[in-house]
Amino acid sequence: MKKTLSLVLFLGIISALSGLCIGYVNGITEPLIAANELASEKQNLELMYPGKEFITIDYTGDDENILGIYEVSGEAYIVKVQGYGYSSTPIVALIGFDTEGTISNLIILSNQETNGYGSRCFEEEFINTAYIGKAMDEDVDMVSGATLTSTAMQNMIAAARNAVSALY
Amino acid sequence: MWNNFKNGFIKENPVFGLYLGMCSTLALSTSLNNAIGMGLCVTLVLICSNVLISLIRKITPDEVRIPVYIVIIATLVSIVEMFVHAFMPELYTSLGVFLSLIVVNCIILGRAEAFASKNGPLASAVDGLGMGLGYTFALTMISLVREFLANMSITFYNPFNAEQILFSFGIEALEPFKISLFSSSVGAFLTFACFAALFAVIRKHMNKKQEAK
Repeated sequence: MKKTLSLVLFLGIISALSGLCIGYVNGITEPLIAANELASEKQNLELMYPGKEFITIDYTGDDENILGIYEVSGEAYIVKVQGYGYSSTPIVALIGFDTEGTISNLIILSNQETNGYGSRCFEEEFINTAYIGKAMDEDVDMVSGATLTSTAMQNMIAAARNAVSALY
Repeated sequence: MWNNFKNGFIKENPVFGLYLGMCSTLALSTSLNNAIGMGLCVTLVLICSNVLISLIRKITPDEVRIPVYIVIIATLVSIVEMFVHAFMPELYTSLGVFLSLIVVNCIILGRAEAFASKNGPLASAVDGLGMGLGYTFALTMISLVREFLANMSITFYNPFNAEQILFSFGIEALEPFKISLFSSSVGAFLTFACFAALFAVIRKHMNKKQEAK
């Protein structure tokens, strides 16, 4: 019994010490890691708002499709969001909302949707008319023949609106 | 002590001699950067774990020694991982899951059990350095062959700043003869087998020489 206790104690002390070390190092590296992530995202954010400062906002909701929220100081919010259309690889987009919650900007970062069908949702002309300028409660347009991709886009916009509406 | 160090390179090279840590060797030897980055991470973890385990070898109860080793190794790997993530994000992304998998790299637990638990801290540190550099050396050799055959060029960028290319070498005339097979796992096995054979020959030769003495 005494033997067992001393074994437990020894292992416990070692684990506690290592936990302490990891906690300490995490304290040093965490801000650096966050800064790095913002820096790597920055080149995408710059496409929407060139030359602006960006701040990462912690997302507290539980929607897995929200990949990140950024604030363009006082001007807009940008939500990085993913959604599943026809392909098993998600569509990843950045959606910018102005101070009223209107969609001001939308960039598709990556997608594997069928070329010529689903991809019509991502043509600049379509993005400009269907998505951009829509207010918080307005519906967005669909593309006939690309139901899955359009629905994915609708869901992504809904998720982004949901996430961003808490911030106003 | 010098012999311990030297052993790690040829006679007991962890990869070509003892055939330890093969998983990460085959997966990560696609580029020179990965190879050197991974090699140095492993070396660092190996030296620290060897020293720590050797320091507590007299007070470690025999029954729980393996869990104790695992806890120490896992802690060190987590620490190294966090530092790499913070200071070398590019390397962190390209090493991916294999960085955290250093925990289960059998070289480290193997050296802890076979060497550090029986020897003093200094000797253990030297053993860790030798073994770690032996591993780095093996990875580098494989990656040089693989990266060159797959791309007909070799580039090495500064791990702290991925845009700064420190070293680049390529033969443009060979560009059309790229063998992309070598960037896949088949290429890894082929390259590894050739090196293992070469090292076996060298070892045999060395043993013969020793016997003749």
